[in-house]
Amino acid sequence: MHSSTSSFERPTPDLPWRGILLAVAGLTLVAGAAWEIRCRAWGFGPTLNDTPDLWAQRRDAVRPDSLVIIGDSRAWFDLDLDQLEHGLGRRPVQLAIPGSCAYPVLANLADDASFHGTVICSIIPLIYLAPGGPLVEHSEEALKRYKTRTLAQRASHQLGMIAEEHLAFLKEGDLDLDGLLKEVPWPKRAGTGGPRTPPYFNSVDRERRARMVAACEQPGPLQDRVKFGWPPLFTAPPPPSYVPREAFLAQMGAAVEARFKNTTSAVQRIRARGGQVIFVRFPVTGELKKLEDAATPRAGPWTRILKESGAPGIYFEDFPELASFVCPEWSHLSAADSIEFTLRLVPHLRQALAQAATPAGR
Amino acid sequence: MLFNSLTFVVFFVVVLGLYWSLSSWEARKNVLLVASYLFYGAWNPPFALLLFATTALDFYLGSRIAGAATPGSKRGWMIASVTSNLSMLGYFKYGNFLLENVHWLLARVGVNYAPPHLDIFLPIGISFYTFHSLSYTLDVYRGVCQPTRSLRDFTLAVSFFPQLVAGPIVRAADFLPQLVAAPTLRAGQFQWGLLMMTLGMFEKTVLADTMLSGAADSVFSYGGPLLAVDAWAGVLAFAGQIFFDFAGYSTCAIGAALCLGFHLKDNFRFPYAALGFSDFWRRWHISLSTFLRDFLYFPLGGNRVGPWRAAVNLIIVMFIGGLWHGPAWTFVVWGLIHGGLLVVEHVARALGKDAPWVHSLGARLALTFATYVAVCLAWVFFRAADFTTAARLLHAMVGTLPHGDPLLTTRALVQVAIVTVGLLLAHGLLRDTSVEAVVQRMPRWLVASLWTVMLCAIILNQGAAHAFIYFQF
Repeated sequence: MHSSTSSFERPTPDLPWRGILLAVAGLTLVAGAAWEIRCRAWGFGPTLNDTPDLWAQRRDAVRPDSLVIIGDSRAWFDLDLDQLEHGLGRRPVQLAIPGSCAYPVLANLADDASFHGTVICSIIPLIYLAPGGPLVEHSEEALKRYKTRTLAQRASHQLGMIAEEHLAFLKEGDLDLDGLLKEVPWPKRAGTGGPRTPPYFNSVDRERRARMVAACEQPGPLQDRVKFGWPPLFTAPPPPSYVPREAFLAQMGAAVEARFKNTTSAVQRIRARGGQVIFVRFPVTGELKKLEDAATPRAGPWTRILKESGAPGIYFEDFPELASFVCPEWSHLSAADSIEFTLRLVPHLRQALAQAATPAGR
Repeated sequence: MLFNSLTFVVFFVVVLGLYWSLSSWEARKNVLLVASYLFYGAWNPPFALLLFATTALDFYLGSRIAGAATPGSKRGWMIASVTSNLSMLGYFKYGNFLLENVHWLLARVGVNYAPPHLDIFLPIGISFYTFHSLSYTLDVYRGVCQPTRSLRDFTLAVSFFPQLVAGPIVRAADFLPQLVAAPTLRAGQFQWGLLMMTLGMFEKTVLADTMLSGAADSVFSYGGPLLAVDAWAGVLAFAGQIFFDFAGYSTCAIGAALCLGFHLKDNFRFPYAALGFSDFWRRWHISLSTFLRDFLYFPLGGNRVGPWRAAVNLIIVMFIGGLWHGPAWTFVVWGLIHGGLLVVEHVARALGKDAPWVHSLGARLALTFATYVAVCLAWVFFRAADFTTAARLLHAMVGTLPHGDPLLTTRALVQVAIVTVGLLLAHGLLRDTSVEAVVQRMPRWLVASLWTVMLCAIILNQGAAHAFIYFQF
């Protein structure tokens, strides 16, 4: 028995609590249902949020001989997992992250001594060569989650997926409080803020297969908003005011050089273990294509990456059957086209794999 | 397990169901104990063993202190408890900090020795549960608390999941008596506990994470000079963020405990309405400030040893208080600033206590505002990653930089302004009352409406659960 006594007791306000709790539960349910109906009327549907937790769960699915897709959103939208499985005999693991540089994930696979599978890596030079900032941080954030997830976080993710598959209003970034506040037409403060990320225009399933929603595949306000949002996102921000321009450019140049060198090293480590890496340039159209071609001509980074790493590459423009697709919002294929595109890409992937497996290819 | 996670919602519902469905008090305590270790082990299971080792050692040392035949041996066992607890805390939390400083000092005298970096993973909440446990042996030594004969009860007192990882620092002397007999829920206590949890969650997820953290993070991570408005907005955002984050956790903990029939004391009492720094520390992280007062300041002699020693004692206590928050000199400087402010306040009070103007409303408002501004300036050192960042921000705030960059968007500035004004108004209006008293006076429809709004905002705010800032301490 404890002989000490504590006389402390918190007061409880004297109110009809049972009725209040019932009222709160009822009002919250009604408000939630009304909000769900409103969100669906806006065109939102239930979909998983593409969180670092979902990515980490897919990273867990990578086996030593897996077929792995890494890169940016083009590999995420444009590749159909069923077609790849059918064509290459293995179910791929989708690890491409929208708005991200693939290098940290490539390095992670290269550092994984057990991995000797096949990597399909999307290359958009403007994104892949980003020396730092959000493009690299997105990949690093996913990797960090993969390495540090706790049991509680894994459980929360499993529970969250069940809810997200049924409720449209659980769309992060668009329908959460932060996303809604972003939609308020705040006056622009000179010199602040960056370009807006695109709004909801795709669904995601448990394998992280992304599919463009119908409203974005057709001309209209959503397609325009996504389309015209790309050029600012693909334009490098100005150097920070507090770093001399020359020093900044030198720093960026060194970081880009390091990226070329490190990419070669990562590819060679994977190939040394019997694995393979194939770089793919996915379709891009319209003004965005002009912008990318002007900033990073094919003879530049793409050619150099292939030459230095020795890995095979597939450039969509080299093959009429791949070059004939039109991206509705300039950057990604529609859900239907992504199936057809993958079907047509498979023979080229097979050929590249066969070529890479020969002594000359190695 | 984070309070603001779906896992916790399910966990809490299951624990509540099991706990209240059992009639045996002993069985219910067993449920709470297992739940508490599951709650902690969900982060990193091996660290639950460390938690138990600390607890078991203090349980043993508590009984030795109580059973000691002489004051000398009693003191010896108490010192053993303090040493073992602080050694463990020191190793896990301050090991690398110590080595880095030894390296720096040796380099100053020309010795080129680079100690190896210890690859230590900091057990979450170690600063809190070490103090929970240590309070027991210290209170047994002081005669404030009789030793318990039940290891299970003591283990539960240290690990009780609502307050385990981020406080309040609940003393065993306050908690153990609540384990003697099964608690009875007063009418409305369960629902009031749920409302407290909703309020705490709202403070954390909506106000701290969504409304303020972006501005604070942007400003404190910016590498260049800022305009004064951006620097101030970032610092005010952090002042609000850390309050809502930590007070939110404490409120959740108090609410969760209430649902289980336990009573935890307040950890915050509207601190930004404090009139002076002594008042601030009576309102901010009360469980830590009273712990340091009872177990450090008073044993050092407090203010009974003359003004100079009292001043030194204050500085020592705040130095330790700063260091408790983390292994960085920025935390130490933050603590020393508060120590210095407390000393200045004591001197000012001694000199100006008879001045009639001090008691006027205008003077009280001005002094309250000055306290808030000084506390915000001190937060710069608490949040900044290094002294260079802190100095740059302070220069920007006082306008001594030749030029600065605009950083925060209109939206961020508006959010910081609205939440800060709301926070200060709420603290100012409620400084002499309590949440319970305010709710008692509200019409029921207003209570239901506010509760619904908070709940809906939390649901609307769904997404990645951000860890509580104080978890790292």
